[in-house]
Amino acid sequence: MKAVGLDIGSLATKLVLLDENKKMIDWKVNRSTYDFKRVGGDLFKDILKEHNLSRSDVFVMSTGYGRNTVDFANDRITEITAHAKGVQYFYPDARSVIDIGGQDSKAIVMSSKTGNVIDFQMNDKCAAGTGRFLEVMSHALEVPINEIGTLALKSNSPASISSTCTVFAESEVISLFAQGSSKIDIAAGINKSIARRVAGMAKRIGVEPLLVFCGGVAKNIAVKEYLETELGFEIVRPEYPQLTGALGAALISFDNHK
Amino acid sequence: MKSLELLSEYSNYLEEQKLEGKKIIAFMSHDSIPEELIDAAGFIPLRLIFAGNDDLMNASHDYLPPSTCSFAQSCIGYFARKPNLYKFLELVDYILLSNHCVSDICVSEIISDNFNVERLNLYVPYTRNESAIKYYKIELENLRKELENIIGHEIPDQKIKESIDKYNLFKKKLAEIEKLEISGSQKLEIFQKAILFGPKILNEIEKLIQKNREITSNDSQTESNNKKVIFTGCSIFLGDYLMDLIEESGGEIVFFNTWIGHNYISQIYSDKILNSTDDPIDLFLYRFKTNIYGDHSVPDSLDNEISYLETFINEYQKENGEKLAVINHVIKFCDHFSLFQSTLKERLQNKGIQVLNLERDYSRANRGQLSTRIEAFMEMI
Ligand code: SF4
Repeated sequence: MKAVGLDIGSLATKLVLLDENKKMIDWKVNRSTYDFKRVGGDLFKDILKEHNLSRSDVFVMSTGYGRNTVDFANDRITEITAHAKGVQYFYPDARSVIDIGGQDSKAIVMSSKTGNVIDFQMNDKCAAGTGRFLEVMSHALEVPINEIGTLALKSNSPASISSTCTVFAESEVISLFAQGSSKIDIAAGINKSIARRVAGMAKRIGVEPLLVFCGGVAKNIAVKEYLETELGFEIVRPEYPQLTGALGAALISFDNHK
Repeated sequence: MKSLELLSEYSNYLEEQKLEGKKIIAFMSHDSIPEELIDAAGFIPLRLIFAGNDDLMNASHDYLPPSTCSFAQSCIGYFARKPNLYKFLELVDYILLSNHCVSDICVSEIISDNFNVERLNLYVPYTRNESAIKYYKIELENLRKELENIIGHEIPDQKIKESIDKYNLFKKKLAEIEKLEISGSQKLEIFQKAILFGPKILNEIEKLIQKNREITSNDSQTESNNKKVIFTGCSIFLGDYLMDLIEESGGEIVFFNTWIGHNYISQIYSDKILNSTDDPIDLFLYRFKTNIYGDHSVPDSLDNEISYLETFINEYQKENGEKLAVINHVIKFCDHFSLFQSTLKERLQNKGIQVLNLERDYSRANRGQLSTRIEAFMEMI
């Protein structure tokens, strides 16, 4: 049997296919839209077709914000447990995870003996410290979201963004422009503000190295660097930071069907 | 759905009582309000134990900033939202202001100033030393006088004593519910109903206990795989979806260490104490003095609370051979529980007890996140 992990996040849906030896043989990512069920279902159908598989050839484990909408899954698991498992695929010595997704951010601590989750913390429903915050700010700055990180790193004097609320922070960005701050410094301030908020949350549960940074926002190099400064140690980022949840879900489905 | 049935039953009950000429005194459901005194004076004590929602919280924002505790916001919303979600609250005659927290004071003031509800006051000390007890006595006597002025005659000691006996018997029965082998949600429903209706439903409770005993003795025990949890912090109010989320995630609450739960039920007098005095005020003072939940916002109160939880957990684990985890429910911006959550978690985790600090408000948008946090916690333990 093969296994599929399907991570339906608020902004992106991710799918990972593992072969019998738990080797990742394919993956897919698409925007979640408002129709979680359809997007997840379409990705699943596509992967089966491309690999000449039928439903009965795979275990399916769903995870993420929309995990309950996947009616063809054998089982479901929260993204907290899934990410913890997924990062250990790439980094078996991982002790902590920071996952910054579209609408939430999480910090997870794993046991050094078992690798199981021993504590976690999530942001509340506020968008500060999430991908959504970055999206709104990149819009205000008129900089594409995938460029905001590289732009930020050119700054020698990041602007200070003190509002944690996305709406107020947007007004703050506009007033920084009015005061003559450069786009580069404001971009740096925005990335720093996310890092500060998430690091604060992570420190509360005692994250420690080896810490794996994952989720869509992990692709942003500036947030990674600022997180390292805030935490006081280096962190690592897997090659596909968006996929760790789906990957973890697929791995757990193997464990469940041992 | 069950909560809707209960609310409609309660509404009918209040309407009947009003037709009989009774008056209703509402108050926020915190500690040390002598409901027996209110009952003996012929009033209906009404605890505000209804869960909030977005509409209720929004309706409160003309009176309170959104950074106030979301339960307090919702209490204002009960009166401010039109049409009224809990229509029976239009029948309330008085609000009893107490000072359990700043929100408690603000809510009672706002309700009395804006919604045509007269206010009574009862200040309760935060600690239980000798001067606090003297002060509580003065407050009780003042409240008694205020009630007597309204009804136009004295409230005989004997009548208060009878009411104390009645509530005491009722709480003893509720304590038996705590030990029944029924689900957490079933227990909670009973506690919520009991807190609304009081000893009037004693027979119903007795029958339920009897029926449950028969079922348990006929059934062979089946082991449940659910994760056993103690629930502490803010109470779960009527109509809240939180209990569903916990049970759907495979959690089973075995003990409600909250006001709607053990805090209320545990305040029982022994026969010896009951018979030791004819002065009912002495009995209120005794209860105040011995109430382990009474201290708050004073040094060491959290330590006592934590030690109590630890003892309970250890005893439970010894008796049942099962591990217990803790869900600490914090209603957003609640001054008492928000400030203490990190210490509570740290202290219990150091003893190897896993803790989920579940901070939330009553908005719909919170539901997905809450369920993820609860499910992840269940996966973790
Ligand atoms: S939930 Fe907390 S802040 Fe709100 S009314 Fe109760 S004790 Fe006060």
